[in-house]
Amino acid sequence: MIRNLTYVLVAALVTTAILGILFLAPTEETMGHAQRIVYLHVAMAWLGLAGFPVTGAAGTMYLLRRDLMWDQWAQAASELGWLCSGLTLITGSLWAHSAWNTWWTWDPRLVSSFILWACYSACLLARANLDDPHRRARLGAVLAIAGTLDVPLVIMATRWFRGIHPAAPQMEPMMRLVLLLSVVGFTALFVLLLVLRRAQLRLECLVADLDQRPEPI
Amino acid sequence: MISKDLVSEWRARRAWPTMLLLGIVVGLVFALQMDVPPEHKPRVVGGLLWLAIFFAGMLAMDRSFAAEREDGCWEGLLLYPVSPTAVYFAKLAVNIAALAAIECVLFPLFVVLSDVPLAARPWHCLVVALLGNLGIAAVGTLLSALAAGIRHSAGLSVLLALPLVVPVVLAAAEATRLIAEDQVGPGWWRWVQFLAAFAIVFITAGSVLFDVVVEE
Repeated sequence: MIRNLTYVLVAALVTTAILGILFLAPTEETMGHAQRIVYLHVAMAWLGLAGFPVTGAAGTMYLLRRDLMWDQWAQAASELGWLCSGLTLITGSLWAHSAWNTWWTWDPRLVSSFILWACYSACLLARANLDDPHRRARLGAVLAIAGTLDVPLVIMATRWFRGIHPAAPQMEPMMRLVLLLSVVGFTALFVLLLVLRRAQLRLECLVADLDQRPEPI
Repeated sequence: MISKDLVSEWRARRAWPTMLLLGIVVGLVFALQMDVPPEHKPRVVGGLLWLAIFFAGMLAMDRSFAAEREDGCWEGLLLYPVSPTAVYFAKLAVNIAALAAIECVLFPLFVVLSDVPLAARPWHCLVVALLGNLGIAAVGTLLSALAAGIRHSAGLSVLLALPLVVPVVLAAAEATRLIAEDQVGPGWWRWVQFLAAFAIVFITAGSVLFDVVVEE
């Protein structure tokens, strides 16, 4: 019952966000409809950034408790973080083509987004090469903690260069409301997917344990 | 342990000659990209120099743990009556020495090839090189130990380290550019402080996390 209610609530929040982006947000004067990408882009960028502290915190908890449950949270968060930072790059590139007439430029925020995506990719790649669950959890946690320490330094280093990315653009109140709806809606979706993916990883772990048990005589 | 690593490298000459040759080749290939007007050279020399140092240095750092695994010395190293943190600091010191060796070759090479006045401020170059070494070696040592425990790990440590050391490469490249452009002021000092902060954060993290990495 509670699970179904959660699905309905998240679906309602995401639908409201999408409808708000399409119909509620006023059309921007210079960029036209292409500016609507921003609402999705900002939400994805926030979730891509938030995924690393979640992964790092779950990794730290694994190292303290040595319970694979925390590693499942870490893996789920890093997969979703990778997806969101990848979508940040794609939506940003689509927006940039319309705003700056180029798909990519070495702007500091673009560089930091790309490095974030590369950090997630490196973590997932290292995990994929480890079979033993506790070894994978241990080394994955080290990488996640190192990545979490690195992200603020990457952001600081890249922003000391002069960039062309809009820092905090002036927005109409309705635009701000739609941006808020989008961030809230997609954050709810992120949390739901995180919980579902973690449940799936828990089941995988249980199945692997059953496979390793000796056959009854 | 530091002398053991340096003596075995001196006798076997396994990693350092390859590293130095890679550094020179990468440096020369990068130098081809400096075919720009003289006034633009200081803008590109820092980035190319530090990328060459990183790639060549990672080769030596990668070997520092892989060689222990291949020769079956890993278990002996773990049974050594010292804490894993001491092993981390010993490996860190050897890796800093490897990076210093490659810099002794690449700094003069880039000065000759690009004709930028880096030699005019040797002490500033030394500070940037030392702090850059500390940052790259801190991350590289931790991730080389981590990658050595992963199957099919050839080249993995470079892949893992590259995104993490981007802030060091960026900061060291900018500090080197400012030296080349003779603008050693508050801007240069800010990058030096950043390099020092990065080194402190990752040496501390490395010394704490190394214990977890080498756990069997």
